[in-house]
Amino acid sequence: MTVVASCAMAGPRAVRVKHRLRWGAWLLSAIVLLVVSMLLGAAIRARIMNAEVFLAYLTSEQVLLGARNALILGTLALAVASVIGLVVALMRVSGNPILAGLSATYVYFFRGTPMLIQLLFWFNALPTMFQRVHLAVPFTDIVLLDAPTTAVVTPFVAALAGLGLAEGAYMAEIIRAGILAVDKGQRAAARAIGMTEAQVLRHIVIPQAARIIIPAGGNQYIMLLKSTSLASAIGFLELLRISTDIYSSNFMVIELLAVAAFWYLVMTAFATAIQTALEKTFPQR
Amino acid sequence: MDSSIKAAAVVLDSVSKSYGAVEILKNVSVTIAPGEVVTLLGPSGAGKSTLLRCINHLETIGAGRIYVHGKLIGYREVGDTLHELSDREISAQRRSIGMVFQSFNLFRHMTVLQNVMSGPTHVLRAPKAEAEALARDLLARVGLPDKADRYPSELSGGQQQRVAIARTLALAPSVMLFDEPTSALDPELSQEVILTIRSLAEQGYTMLIATHEMAIARDFADRVIFMVQGEVVEDVSARSFFTSPRHERSRQFVARHAG
Ligand SMILES: Nc1ncnc2c1ncn2[C@@H]1O[C@H](COP(=O)(O)OP(=O)(O)O)[C@@H](O)[C@H]1O
Ligand SMILES: [Mg+2]
Repeated sequence: MTVVASCAMAGPRAVRVKHRLRWGAWLLSAIVLLVVSMLLGAAIRARIMNAEVFLAYLTSEQVLLGARNALILGTLALAVASVIGLVVALMRVSGNPILAGLSATYVYFFRGTPMLIQLLFWFNALPTMFQRVHLAVPFTDIVLLDAPTTAVVTPFVAALAGLGLAEGAYMAEIIRAGILAVDKGQRAAARAIGMTEAQVLRHIVIPQAARIIIPAGGNQYIMLLKSTSLASAIGFLELLRISTDIYSSNFMVIELLAVAAFWYLVMTAFATAIQTALEKTFPQR
Repeated sequence: MDSSIKAAAVVLDSVSKSYGAVEILKNVSVTIAPGEVVTLLGPSGAGKSTLLRCINHLETIGAGRIYVHGKLIGYREVGDTLHELSDREISAQRRSIGMVFQSFNLFRHMTVLQNVMSGPTHVLRAPKAEAEALARDLLARVGLPDKADRYPSELSGGQQQRVAIARTLALAPSVMLFDEPTSALDPELSQEVILTIRSLAEQGYTMLIATHEMAIARDFADRVIFMVQGEVVEDVSARSFFTSPRHERSRQFVARHAG
């Protein structure tokens, strides 16, 4: 690139300024484009995918149900994880050694074991631990729910518990980092003008912690939407499970994987859009 | 209750405070009358910040009592025991005790106007319009009427400190505590903050100012309290502190800073 700058003040002679060419970046771009086009070319030559089949399944009723189930499960799991994460993070920074210890232990266990193991665990352990679920309003005869646990802990409930609890550990760490990023001085100033601890949290800490929590949380939301595919292991009808069920009977493996991938990409775009909008609501100051 | 405690703006009665085994405040007794301007001097680490933070119960105390306008701060006395007050009760006490910090501590996600309005709106639950009118008035008084919609990061240190003062004034405190309000500022910016504090002194605010700024101590303070290692070494009129310091440590301090 060449930029010509002339400066009237500098003297009688106009000077040409020639900037360095960043040739390394251009070379890398060329290599990447070459590799990508080779891969695409190979895929097209081998006809790995039938476009008509792909389009037919893309909007089929079953696939749409799976996509909707995945979106609902991932979104509710994020909500559960955020609430758990906030509570666990507050326990961690509370200054109480028992609360802080419990919180650290929770994070260690739930971050330290595979999500798949956790999903299988809740699906199998809850009905064994509790034979019946009995929910009643105390001191009255009103019974809200009375059923065998196996009927209550559906694959959806187990998946929601599993994903929410596992993700809660990650959210706790993210929220804790956000809280710690708000300097002590501002908290002291807020208390000095007479805010209660709850008000300090609500008006000073959370709005500023949000700037750190939102980008990381958006990332977690995307991971969680894709992790809903783990729920196929306990029989929840989500996107991947439905796709594999279809291709195991018609053998259109690539087409159905592409269909599933397409909807995961749509969900990711949705999550990214929400993240971008929230980042604008809580700008860096 | 002792009538002298009721009449005083601030009373520290034999206050002690330790962090672990280290005693930071040692049996400190101080009385400040309404309208008095007192500077708190002493080498770094003497316990000035700790003393100020005890007065609005940002720190707990180990022994003694602190009163602001006759009200026991942070505790309820039942028999011979002091029970710490609830979060809500302590917050209510803090409303009438203003505090200005060395590092300004403005709320960075709020505009200047929102910072000044934060006390009235969130703590006193005043109507928005009323709080805004008050905030704009206070910003004019600290000389920043045109910065209302700026964010703290867009202001100089001196301007930020004046906003912090306005934020504190918005709650109409009966006592103002300053913890080294100019120490983070270069001399020129210090000057504008000192002028703001001086005008508050002239308006009759009761103030306790920890500082290394001799101009404050000499030019408009009524009294100097000199602390060393958690003890009050000298508590005299500003004039006599500078002209005839009694203790060896204060003599050295005056010689070093007054030059
Ligand atoms: N949170 C704390 N934990 C332990 N020691 C502290 C703490 N805060 C202050 N100190 C100690 O208390 C002493 C007095 O500190 P401070 O009140 O900040 O003094 P000053 O404001 O006069 O410089 C210092 O020795 C300091 O190291
Ligand atoms: Mg200090």
